[in-house]
Amino acid sequence: MEEKKSHGNSYGMVIDLDKCTGCGTCMVACATENNVTVRSDESDKERCITWMQLYKIDNGKPFPDTEVSYFPRPCMHCDEDGRGGHHSPCVSVCPVTATTIDHNTGIVSQIYTRCVGCRYCQAACPYHARYFNWWDGYSYFKPFAKGMERSLSPEVSPRMRGVVEKCTFCHHRLMRAKNQAYAEGRRELKEDEYITACTEACPAQAITFGDLNNPEHKVHKLAKNGNAFRLLEKLQTKPKVYYMSSKDWIRKLADNYLPDQFKPVLKNRSGE
Amino acid sequence: MKVNGKNITEILAINRRNFIKFAVGGAVGTGLSPLPWKLLDDTAIFTQNFPWVSVPEVGEFSFVKSVCALCPGGCGIEVRKVGERAVKIEGRTDYPVNPGGLCPLGMGGLQLLYNEGNRFTGPMKRIGPRGSGKFIDITWEEAIETVANRLTDLRNKGNAGSIVAVDGNPMGSTISTMIERLLKVIGSPNYMRIPSSEDTNQIVTNIMYGKTGPVTYDLENADYILSFGSGFLEGWGSPGRVLNAWGLWKSSPLKDRVKIVQIESRASNTASKADKWIAPVPGTETALALGLAHVMIKEELCNSAFLNEHCFGFSDWKSTDGQTRTGFRDYVLKEYSPEKVSAITKVKVEDIVSTARDFAGAKSPLAVCGRGKGMLNGSVLEFMSVHALNALTGNLNRPGGIYIHDPLPLSPLADMETDDIAKIGLRKERLDNAGSDINPIHHSLFGNLSDRFSKNSQPKVDTMLIFSANPAFTLPDGGEFRHIMSKVPFIVSFSPYRDESALMADLVLPDHTYLEKIDDIVWPAGIQYPVYGLTQPVIDPLYDTKNSGDVIIRIANKIGGTVGRSFPWRNYETVLKERIKGLAEVKGGLTEFDNSVPVWKQMQKSGTIESDYRDLDDLWKRLKSGGLWYRPVFNQENIEGLFATETGKFEFYSNKIKDIILASNQKDTGITVTGDEAAMPHFEHSAPEEDTHMYPLKMVPYELINLSSGWLPNPPYLNKTIFDNQLLKDESFAEINPRTAVEHDLKQGDRVQIESKKGKIQARINIFEGAMPGIVYLPMGFGHTAYDDFTRGKGVNPNDIIVGGKDPISGHPVWWNTSVRLIKVLI
Repeated sequence: MEEKKSHGNSYGMVIDLDKCTGCGTCMVACATENNVTVRSDESDKERCITWMQLYKIDNGKPFPDTEVSYFPRPCMHCDEDGRGGHHSPCVSVCPVTATTIDHNTGIVSQIYTRCVGCRYCQAACPYHARYFNWWDGYSYFKPFAKGMERSLSPEVSPRMRGVVEKCTFCHHRLMRAKNQAYAEGRRELKEDEYITACTEACPAQAITFGDLNNPEHKVHKLAKNGNAFRLLEKLQTKPKVYYMSSKDWIRKLADNYLPDQFKPVLKNRSGE
Repeated sequence: MKVNGKNITEILAINRRNFIKFAVGGAVGTGLSPLPWKLLDDTAIFTQNFPWVSVPEVGEFSFVKSVCALCPGGCGIEVRKVGERAVKIEGRTDYPVNPGGLCPLGMGGLQLLYNEGNRFTGPMKRIGPRGSGKFIDITWEEAIETVANRLTDLRNKGNAGSIVAVDGNPMGSTISTMIERLLKVIGSPNYMRIPSSEDTNQIVTNIMYGKTGPVTYDLENADYILSFGSGFLEGWGSPGRVLNAWGLWKSSPLKDRVKIVQIESRASNTASKADKWIAPVPGTETALALGLAHVMIKEELCNSAFLNEHCFGFSDWKSTDGQTRTGFRDYVLKEYSPEKVSAITKVKVEDIVSTARDFAGAKSPLAVCGRGKGMLNGSVLEFMSVHALNALTGNLNRPGGIYIHDPLPLSPLADMETDDIAKIGLRKERLDNAGSDINPIHHSLFGNLSDRFSKNSQPKVDTMLIFSANPAFTLPDGGEFRHIMSKVPFIVSFSPYRDESALMADLVLPDHTYLEKIDDIVWPAGIQYPVYGLTQPVIDPLYDTKNSGDVIIRIANKIGGTVGRSFPWRNYETVLKERIKGLAEVKGGLTEFDNSVPVWKQMQKSGTIESDYRDLDDLWKRLKSGGLWYRPVFNQENIEGLFATETGKFEFYSNKIKDIILASNQKDTGITVTGDEAAMPHFEHSAPEEDTHMYPLKMVPYELINLSSGWLPNPPYLNKTIFDNQLLKDESFAEINPRTAVEHDLKQGDRVQIESKKGKIQARINIFEGAMPGIVYLPMGFGHTAYDDFTRGKGVNPNDIIVGGKDPISGHPVWWNTSVRLIKVLI
């Protein structure tokens, strides 16, 4: 990982795929935390909304050598490319500045009331992390499921029809932590004071969240681990979500490689 | 008049040219003005502010600590509230079972509370035909009176035995004790429990250890785990705890990393993520376990000190008549050579040998059993073989081993009174024969009930009371119990949810959900030290529901006489407190947990600790705020007195089984072998015999951690986690190997009819390399005919075609192996 030019914090996460069990708790925790809508047909994956999405992969080997694994995929919070210029793919196409990257936190925001629903960002995002609201959020299923709006959290505004939404790294939790810190007269957050709902919920502790710029934080070290990689790194989108796996077949599926282009990580480096 | 040389009439004339000029000018003009944009914007804003777009109410944040009761796992939860609303469930870090994490079901629990479409809002009486879901509201007085009158009538007619209770609550819970007590005092022996792994575990601890307590595993301290189909990542045991252990295993340094070996026929998450995956033919796991035992015995890799001192029936032994009998050692050496086992299981000989060596060579090897989520019953012979493997290593009541405990020391309830009606009633035989001389170690045998009904169409059940169970959906019996229910004259459901069984009920007396009531969690599944949890009413009940414990007390009091006097408590909470007395008396109990020192790290310690509460009242107060009691188990080097069998030892040769075989017709036990091996762990083809020509394939159902497959509905958020090759629109998918697909001329997404002797269901095909050739895998939890649009009519329920059969010794259904055939559906 080359040095970043941006100053301030750069929040990011490292997901250890050896620990990830594919249970889906992160998806459910994310949905409950962020008032994500749910439809009666969630099998229509082009319409349902999942800020955090599990992708199931397998090694393609015949029985009994088959293995499955999962990529939990939040928004990657793509950074600038480190060479000056070039924003995250979505930020650079948004005509109304409804999505921006905050240089102090590295978080790519989404402002629903500003969004005009043109869906350029959705097309630009190589990770399919953005979702369009085809229906009014929580009113849509009222006839089917009376009463579920009672568990809506006031910390996150429910989205209306016609806007794009995505993972915000639980930005409201950052606000909550900052308020707390300021109230206690601090300007810096402690490492575990601000973590996302998925990080907190993961029962296998596969997700680590923190400030990639802060050498004290676990993510800073983990992101430099020999087993760490990012999705579609060749696109130069500089995601702030890192993955770790000791398995070559998993790392190979993280990007598109020409024959012989993929360099396996040597076995003895795993777990360093 | 002329303008610019043109006649004014010519300019104003409405001709084609002028009309176009006007229209184009108008359009350009309007377009340049802000009007259309303003209107468009206003319309957009207007539509985005429809009054039905929810704006969550703000309020004060508060956090309530409680315990999850959605599965026997009993994880600690903390509910975030805003004002009076619960908005989020999070894992507790100050709870020893699950340090912070939860499973997806626990995380989505609020939708079980708030989704009104799935809930009963008050007591109801059926008005439509059975299953139609047409009910009208009644008052609680009327509901309780109806039940009490009916039970009284049956008692007076001397027909109390026709009252059946079906209970799905965990074994040993206070509510189960109350239900069983109610049945006893009214004079019905027919208290039935939904078959679960608790039954299998209890039978095995009974026959091999002579104990009645739970089987628990010190997973965290083990260094080699041999899992016989236990889905650690599919929700086995207490998911919050097991998934946490998984994270721990994978974060230890490579050189001393725990090795996990998964024995399962399908590349489940556990099998994929394990260090080694061994795929035996489903139903032959017992043979594999005995094959491993063979190698260990042959290569002398066993803990001979333990085997000599604490085991009976391992070496050859002499019976009372002086005859020399073959022990487990010689039997296994003779019958289960790796070559023989390989032929049965299709596992390679070298895999059997190397796994046995690795297992025996580990410091703390641990063999674990209980398929999938570990909630459904298992094969007794398989469980026995796995316990035998553990006994060979001597890894019992030692850190990293199996811990056999006594049950939680809860106080028994005050003695009940039984009148003559009850005394006569209780002397009658149970409808399912469980607990009789032939089946002395059984609690309930649903299979026998079905047999009886199929032979005799006149129902012997008049009134059925259903608690925390959905037998119409969850019993793996090809829909037989549903058929029985359709014939039962009167069904009372205590379910808070509009499930299949409740929709067949004549009367619904809805319970609170787990977030609205106080209830106990007695020893979360598989935890290696005693834990007691108490759920808290996180919010006030949303609807006109009542805690079933309170309702039972009211029904009993309404019946009056000895029945009423046997339920002298003011309310259910008093009962819970009465039971706690036993805990308060135990030394070394704690109610607070410090996350920095997990309990499993203390297993190596010795010595005693002081309780952190003074007396019963103090303990009760602490339980009501923290919901936790536990007692760390320190190293018990001394295993004297651990076994309470006839011989006082761990019995490879079970005297109990011998007695059962002597007392009954051996055929009834399901054991086909004769001689001494009948009472020892041995392999039998437990799957029902089928015409392999008619039904050449096997159907194996599988469980998903992110899909509720028990009696609870699935929270809609969990539907997000289901892949579109598991469920697409209203169709679920059957997984088959590409080779099987070629043989049946099937492509991805094709529709097939899956037929067994019991019935047929239609699913789509998902071709999966991780499926064993010749097996059809169906997910459990789909195919509901009840609940709301989020759940109803989605996919098919494999239980509908499971032939069942009876597992030897336990008599419970063999749900893991059904002969089927596939027929392509052409549309």
